[in-house]
Amino acid sequence: MRPIARLTVAALAALALTACATTNVRSFVERGIDVQQYRTYSWGPPHEQATGDPRLDNNRFFQERIEAAVEHNLNARGFEKTAGGESDLLIRYYASVEQLVNANGADRAFVPCEDCRPFVFDAGTIVIDLIDARTKRMVWRGWQEGSIDGLIDNQAWMEKRVDESVARILERLPRRVGRVS
Amino acid sequence: MSRLTALAMAAIGTLAVAGCATMNVSSHVERGLDVSRYHTYNWGPADALPAGDPRLEKDPFFQDHLRGAVEKAMAGRGFEWSTADAPDLLLHYHANITERIDVDRLDVQRGYCGESGCDVPTVQFEAGTLVIDVIDARTNRLIWRGWAQSAVQGMLANQDTMARQINEAVARMFGEFPKPL
Repeated sequence: MRPIARLTVAALAALALTACATTNVRSFVERGIDVQQYRTYSWGPPHEQATGDPRLDNNRFFQERIEAAVEHNLNARGFEKTAGGESDLLIRYYASVEQLVNANGADRAFVPCEDCRPFVFDAGTIVIDLIDARTKRMVWRGWQEGSIDGLIDNQAWMEKRVDESVARILERLPRRVGRVS
Repeated sequence: MSRLTALAMAAIGTLAVAGCATMNVSSHVERGLDVSRYHTYNWGPADALPAGDPRLEKDPFFQDHLRGAVEKAMAGRGFEWSTADAPDLLLHYHANITERIDVDRLDVQRGYCGESGCDVPTVQFEAGTLVIDVIDARTNRLIWRGWAQSAVQGMLANQDTMARQINEAVARMFGEFPKPL
């Protein structure tokens, strides 16, 4: 038997109760940048980093689903994909998977442990970046993270979640005001 | 927000297998794929993914047995191994081992909850993922990806166990390979 090791775990309060269903959506925008000034976009160079899950690395079923969902949502917002040549924006995305522990009450002092149900789950994150093609500076970043237990193993379910995630992330893009797209 | 907590972690390797001995198998496939237009295959060049685990990738027994099992599965589906002419399909595999932890649920109730929270027994184990890619040689596009995941503990030390695990992984994976339309 190996000695008992101590593991420090960040108990994610937001995920604590219903980690299997909850997801977090967030975004940053560069100060002083009006995302609405951009009209056209194209895909930037893909991220070469590993996702942390060999099932997703170089997985075109996953990659093409994300790309299609991003294009669909950007087009619906009045952005236009350039067939080639210059565009106002470059779009990049990144996906990662890591194993997390949810202490689920076990981090609270003096709680009877019949109530503690710590569990381990796979957390997935999708990050979408909008980059000013001229200055090469990121002007907007949106991401979603949440439990993806069992998701990759079910292609139809994964595709549905990708569609929902991308829609929810890009939902946070600042709206165009008073412009017909 | 979240606060840091410490879970006492009992890394009991020998107990790890109990919680994670089951093999998880699944696949992704191109929608509407008609495999009847493919007849021959060959092993393709290695990909540029992060290196798999050297204990598997540099193990000639693993390599040989895996290739043998895949070739048998392909033959069983009517595909012919062709090294001479340009094949219709290219096969590629990737074997990866990662450290994972699991909460030993059976022991949770015996955990002690003191001032700093509960002592929750967790087990650490090595999870192996074997990914097999089938690529259309003409378009160079992935048409099918199958994978199997399981704890690799007993397998690295014992060739018979490894052979059994490989056979099960490949047989179950190719059980999901699409049938001719």
